[in-house]
Amino acid sequence: MRYFLRRTAFFVITLWAAVTLNFVIPRLQPGDPAEAIVGQLTGQGPVDPDQIRAVRLMLGVPDTSLLSQYWDYLGSLVRGDFGISYTYFPYPVTHMISEALPWTLVLVGVTQVLGFLIGTVLGAFAAWRRNSRFDSFVTLGSQFVGSLPFFWIALLLLYLLAFLAGWFPDSGGHAVDVTPSWSWAFAGDAIYHGILPALSILVTAPAGWIIGMRNNMVQSLGEDYTRLARAKGLSVRRVALAYGARVAILPNVTGFALALGGILGGTVLVETIFDYPGLGRLLMEAVGARDYPLMQALFLFITIGVLLANLLADFLLGVLDPRVRKEAA
Amino acid sequence: MARRWRLLVVAMAAAVGMGTVSCSAGPTEAEGLTADGLVPFINMGDYAPGASPQRNFNPFSPNKAVVGFTFETLYQVDGFNCAETPWLATAYQWEGTQKLTFTLRDGVRWHDGRPFTADDVVFTYEMIKANPALDLMGVGPILKSVTGQGSTVTMEFNSPAALLFSKIAKVEIVPKHIWESAGDPVRFTNNDAIGTGPYRVKTFNARQMVLERDPGYWQADKVKVKELRFTHSPEGQVDQLRLERGEYDMNSMFVPDIEKVYVAKDPEHNKYWFAPGGVISLYPNLTKAPFDDVEFRRALTSAFDRQGIADKAQFGYVETASQTGLILPNQEEWLDNDFPDGGRIAYDVDKARKALDDAGYEVDGENRRLGKDGKPLSFEFKVPTGWNDWIQAAQIVKDDFRELGIQVDVATPQQATYEADRAVGNYDLLFGVYGGDCNIHKDFADPLASGQSAEIGKPAVSNFSRWRDDTTDQLLNTLASAGDEQAQKDAVRGLQQVMMDEVPNIPLWYGAKWFQYRTKRVTGWPSAEDPYATSTDVLLIVTRLQPAGS
Repeated sequence: MRYFLRRTAFFVITLWAAVTLNFVIPRLQPGDPAEAIVGQLTGQGPVDPDQIRAVRLMLGVPDTSLLSQYWDYLGSLVRGDFGISYTYFPYPVTHMISEALPWTLVLVGVTQVLGFLIGTVLGAFAAWRRNSRFDSFVTLGSQFVGSLPFFWIALLLLYLLAFLAGWFPDSGGHAVDVTPSWSWAFAGDAIYHGILPALSILVTAPAGWIIGMRNNMVQSLGEDYTRLARAKGLSVRRVALAYGARVAILPNVTGFALALGGILGGTVLVETIFDYPGLGRLLMEAVGARDYPLMQALFLFITIGVLLANLLADFLLGVLDPRVRKEAA
Repeated sequence: MARRWRLLVVAMAAAVGMGTVSCSAGPTEAEGLTADGLVPFINMGDYAPGASPQRNFNPFSPNKAVVGFTFETLYQVDGFNCAETPWLATAYQWEGTQKLTFTLRDGVRWHDGRPFTADDVVFTYEMIKANPALDLMGVGPILKSVTGQGSTVTMEFNSPAALLFSKIAKVEIVPKHIWESAGDPVRFTNNDAIGTGPYRVKTFNARQMVLERDPGYWQADKVKVKELRFTHSPEGQVDQLRLERGEYDMNSMFVPDIEKVYVAKDPEHNKYWFAPGGVISLYPNLTKAPFDDVEFRRALTSAFDRQGIADKAQFGYVETASQTGLILPNQEEWLDNDFPDGGRIAYDVDKARKALDDAGYEVDGENRRLGKDGKPLSFEFKVPTGWNDWIQAAQIVKDDFRELGIQVDVATPQQATYEADRAVGNYDLLFGVYGGDCNIHKDFADPLASGQSAEIGKPAVSNFSRWRDDTTDQLLNTLASAGDEQAQKDAVRGLQQVMMDEVPNIPLWYGAKWFQYRTKRVTGWPSAEDPYATSTDVLLIVTRLQPAGS
């Protein structure tokens, strides 16, 4: 029990640190959001000073002290009020995030779970058939593919399958004349538009898990307890899954949680390349436009997401591996 | 960074030849006319800010979607000739210079069928006065009262306002019956977009907006296009490719070498017209030496190859600018004819060198021009990153400075940083834009009035070079309250004299209003031959368009 309490306390402290950093960092950036918006609006033409004045009044560009801004910030976080997006005024930040969240959640969720499953299964097979032709193909192949940056794969897919072959749309989350709604027609269209972004993540996603799983399992298969299991005459399947794979999968579970942060970072690139309407593209835009409220909320969401995933992984590890609980206690 | 990768793809795709490539689900070609003789649709550019366009049809919001086809103003004042066209009002009458009466048009209806009345006009102007955040035209501070009676609306002003007519008459009128119960008008997104304009919103999503002709429009017989389809563009390069492929019937963007890139793709239909916009001018930071020395500034006026900038950086799309601060030939009526060549100063390096020598800026043994403190002069020139035509122009200015022995470095910060630095005066040199507003007072007040300036470190509104001069302020005040045309002209003459003698900034070229159009589906676009409006006067344009071949 103490293990779980300690993990939770650690989570709370990290969360506070993240929340505070999240407040400080955007404020260190140079620039003035109201000017940025006016600049965006008028492109390169003359900017009417009356317009700038109106925008300033509207956005209430903060000129109070940092401390009182911080206090207000904490208060509104507790209330779940993330303020109004500068870029999309008067739409609240929560509206923008709730619009983008499903896209990223489905894209990242589906590809990562698939990637993890495929990688783990392939890795386990490779370890079981160690030094077979399958093993060397999978191991070498994943090492090669895993070293490719996935924005590069995204560009390649975009060029080959969208521009050259024309099989898939080159950008967007849905067709131009389809308005999002709860219908099969929209779902089909959204899946069609999601295939290329998903594919570009999925090509590299299993690579890390394959290598990790294979190496762990090769080791666990060589342990004394596995030899004992074999000697006892247990079925091959039982030995492979319950003795080899169960132990080998533990580091992968922790790795999965840790990898989430990096995956979200990569999603920014993929979503930007495919102009996919998810959190990554929204984040990119918020940073470019110095949209403080939107930036803060997005960073916070991502941080909390990663922290929560880590907490869950820690808990799961405690459940899967009794040794961890003992050591901590 | 990701932006660059995307560019790469686009470049690769372009190299392969777009003809064989079936790209995004683009709009299909229209065939013929509808049963009632209308053009079924035309394609336009982007329609709302941001990568994820949101419904926002509040015409006073800085983040509004395209609302120019949906809401109308009392008068239209076109951006080229500054000609007034009666619109929701049929006539106006000044009583003195502080009282203005509009006669409203009969038979105008809102999209929901309710009649348009003087109440709506009074409501709109009162709302703007009460909410400065909605006051994009800056009408509130001068407006004293607005009252309606029958079909007339009377406005009274705090000070003489005749010169400000183009601002006063260009406020979008909104329906009282919807806005009075809408809550905070600043945060109202006005999703139904009920206006008096020729088009209503048909569909809106994150990638496309479709506007549909309102058959009940008060001059519906002049509107010949059934649907306007706007497409969201993720990125400028993609937009340019779409333009090249003829996917837009109208758009406004900077395109390098447009004859080759656009016109040559379909010479019969692809056209463009770049009307002169604002004055693009070299802004020295007047609070820093040697720019605080009028002799130094005056010497610079002949130092720049304006024609070179127009030809090389601007692809010959633009004209060189007059030192008077006026846009010529558009504002020729204001020009003081005593200035040779309309105040255009010829490129003459030797003259500039001599003027600098005479002013006491000597050259050392290494051919470096020295400041009054004996140190070599060197400046930083700031241009926003990605504004390639401006960066090109800055490079030419840099070369011209080198001819004088002065070192200039061109820095390209992010646009937001650039704007912040510009506002607080953290720069040596940059390009400023002003003028082209159909309002001679605003044209000179924006760059020159003390009230538009601020101390270094505090944000200035528009007088970024920080010109502070009592004579200038007096002339601007005289101009604002001048009763007759002669008094106005005298004041404007005085302001031109200030520009010529004191050189608060150095106009280089007239920025162009980018405008591309296709005559495949519709004709009647404004052009150099028929300059009845500029590309932003959309109501004037849309009531002139005719089916192609008719």
